[in-house]
Amino acid sequence: MSGDEDVEQKGFEQFQRFLDEWSRRDFLKGLGATGAWFAFSAGVVEFLDACASASTTTSQTGKKGGHVVEGAFSDVRTFNSMLSSDTASNQVLGLMFDGLLNSKKNGDLVGALAQDLPKTSSDGLTYTFKLRPNLKWSDGQPLTADDVVFTYQLGYDPQYKDFASPRRGDLSKYIASVTAPDPQTVVVTTTQVFAPFLVSHGQYGILPKHVLGSLSGKDLNTAPFNSAPTVSNGAFKFVSWQSGQQVTLARNDTYWAGPALLDQYIYKVLPDSTTVADQLKTGEIDIGPVDPSQFDSVKASGNTNIIEFPVAIFDFYAYNLDPTKLGGKLFAQKEVRQALVYALDRQSWVQAIYFGHASVATSVEPPTSWAFKAKPQVVYTFDVAKANSLLDGAGWVKGSDGIRVKDGLPLRFEMHTNAGNKQRESILQVMQQSWKDIGVDATPKLIQFPQLVTEIVSTRTFDVFLVGFSWGQDPDESPLFHSRNAAPGGFNGADFKNADVDATLDAALTTLDQNKRKQLYYHFQDVMSDQVPAPILMFNKGIWATSKRVMAADFGTYNQFGNRPWMKDVWVTDGK
Amino acid sequence: MLVKFIVRRLFASVVVVLGVTAVTLFLMDRTRGAYVPGIDLNPALRPEDIARLRADLGLDQPFYVWYVNWLWNVMHGDFGRSMIDGSPVMTHILERLPNTLELTLTAVLIGIVLSVPLGVIGALRRGTKTDHSLTIFSVAGFAVPQFWLGLMLILIFSVTFEHNGWPWLPSGGVTSPFGGGDLGDRLLHLIMPATVLSFFYLSLWSRFTRSSMLEVLSQDYIRTARAKGMSERRVVYLHGLRNALIPLVTLIGLELPGLVSGGLVVEVVFSWPGLGRLAFERALQYDYTTVMGVVFFTTLLVVAGNLLADILYAILDPRIRYA
Repeated sequence: MSGDEDVEQKGFEQFQRFLDEWSRRDFLKGLGATGAWFAFSAGVVEFLDACASASTTTSQTGKKGGHVVEGAFSDVRTFNSMLSSDTASNQVLGLMFDGLLNSKKNGDLVGALAQDLPKTSSDGLTYTFKLRPNLKWSDGQPLTADDVVFTYQLGYDPQYKDFASPRRGDLSKYIASVTAPDPQTVVVTTTQVFAPFLVSHGQYGILPKHVLGSLSGKDLNTAPFNSAPTVSNGAFKFVSWQSGQQVTLARNDTYWAGPALLDQYIYKVLPDSTTVADQLKTGEIDIGPVDPSQFDSVKASGNTNIIEFPVAIFDFYAYNLDPTKLGGKLFAQKEVRQALVYALDRQSWVQAIYFGHASVATSVEPPTSWAFKAKPQVVYTFDVAKANSLLDGAGWVKGSDGIRVKDGLPLRFEMHTNAGNKQRESILQVMQQSWKDIGVDATPKLIQFPQLVTEIVSTRTFDVFLVGFSWGQDPDESPLFHSRNAAPGGFNGADFKNADVDATLDAALTTLDQNKRKQLYYHFQDVMSDQVPAPILMFNKGIWATSKRVMAADFGTYNQFGNRPWMKDVWVTDGK
Repeated sequence: MLVKFIVRRLFASVVVVLGVTAVTLFLMDRTRGAYVPGIDLNPALRPEDIARLRADLGLDQPFYVWYVNWLWNVMHGDFGRSMIDGSPVMTHILERLPNTLELTLTAVLIGIVLSVPLGVIGALRRGTKTDHSLTIFSVAGFAVPQFWLGLMLILIFSVTFEHNGWPWLPSGGVTSPFGGGDLGDRLLHLIMPATVLSFFYLSLWSRFTRSSMLEVLSQDYIRTARAKGMSERRVVYLHGLRNALIPLVTLIGLELPGLVSGGLVVEVVFSWPGLGRLAFERALQYDYTTVMGVVFFTTLLVVAGNLLADILYAILDPRIRYA
């Protein structure tokens, strides 16, 4: 036996002895001691921290330098403004590519690359934009009207028909021509007077002709530029994109509005709202959207400033008014449709379902719109007595089982919504209960989102569906309520066909006079409140949190994702 | 005989790969409805646009036609492009593969390093309270859902620790988005997800080591060694543990092909950019090509690994060739 083995033998014996003698009591004692140590040191740390805490700095002059990390739920798909249709892509490319116009947080349009709003011709068909002088791309090349013309051609010109732009439908319908009579001027002529033209199509990020102009439509679909833009004209320029992880942008010093204060902007991809909330609390991200259910816990962490504002995102349900379907027989009378809305105590939902972060909708237009009429012809308060009397008056009489019947047909139907959305599932349950109280038998059914979309858009195999939706900057609501969109493929799932509404919506689209449009939309809201084919229930709130070190972030109703003209002014207090 | 065995196994492997990919496509197709991948539903899209996009992506044909086209391309090495953003699928896979391997290899390592001593202690202290607590620990590690454990750890070590000003662990990602990237930063990000993932291996292997150890310690040759006067240390470690570890090595080896597919839940909870999370996110968006590419790739690796293991066994142990 060698000396080595002796040592090993001793070691082994010691190990054995250790196991024998190490009783549970000792273990617990050790644990307790460790715990006490931690508590003590934590106390020491807090004490020292309290001694050292400085007063809060309120210096308001922007410091140059530093970075912000923003958390978001989805990864970017493309950086090409004419290919993107998702929020995430629009958000990031919006920081790199300005359009002719941008939006303020209240929805008003302002000039971006264009000096100001365009001059419109008296017939309302021609828009003349004057670009700002000395616009440059980040590589120093001048940005001229040719770049603007090129960008729009990608969307409507037949030579680019292989370029898979999701905008092609609208742009080819509404644009007659886009020309550049001189390097500072862009003239857009539309095929018909289209009031939302500027808001819907005047804000696309302008792409560089000197980089992309030589590519064919087909090649543009897979151009490397789409995932790694080499030049930009916005506040930031592209640095890197680690797919599924983050996008890194750096300040663009040639930006027309002046260089941004930040050195870097990082867009971080996270799986869900819980992770975003966690990372806002730990400070791993500086900016992020907050889900209503996470609001209280993010606020309690004390690390962030939270801003909340109304948005045009809403939950609504629709009756199937197709006369060949069950819904058509049940909901043909407007008294029935109205009664069901009167029976809902929506004010109580604000706290119970939305944690206080929503408002009851009084009209189909959002309260954020310039066309909003707060008190349309019919205002739906919570009125069970009225609901009952309307149904009685319409000939729906309560049977022996408490369910109303008319001509042998009970007022019994199914309500569909998508599984996985807690808010909507709760709404359906509350609706079921509220309607049971007035003698209506409604059963909730949860289905997968793609199936729900198919039902709403194509097959129309529902009685009532509940879903979320959002309005754009323009008050036009044809997608949901114009009869032409009741054809399969359109979003008018309720099959609502009203000649008055059609005429009003069409007239409001074909005049540029905002006052006239406002009157038309007032009338529209009156009719909709009376006819109520698809009652809009609640309007949500946009909630954003920024870390205490981030200054000058100015989120608002129309300044959330793609439009952030204030991003160049954001700065961080610690300059890191 | 051996050749016949290999051919049979090879044939079975091909069937498995085809079957898995076909079923995956079938399930995606059945649940997609009228949805078009990559297109957010917004009212500006007209029905003609949607129809055109669907035709471009080949979704207007029955799924088996799409499957055959896809298979043909894959046979030629072309994994195609994502339906969401047109980027090449192979690029995504190769980008994400190292991250997944980093996570699962670390988890396996932690599993091996911890399970052997735990198993040995359990065997040597059989029947005592120590052994019972280790048993409970193992079973709990196996029974607890990974997403719950992951979220709990994030809550404790990230959120609560940070709130109290203690040193805290980052709650997700591979590196810090700003200023990170060095080895220390990567390790910090790796600790929690690898630990959660390792619980699975840990509980399995420590139990196995324990029972294997017990079995070996009751063998005759152990008694003989003791009778010869050999020290207890040599008996346990030289003869006992070494023999007990052989089947454990086999078990670990069999686990290796599954490394690429192992960590989906952990990857999602910890925002880890791996293959599992790629497949998960893309499946939610009905990005057929990417999901099929990932499924094919991982199935291929798992099946190939198992095939290799089977063949090696058959070479080493002739009895298996007739199985």
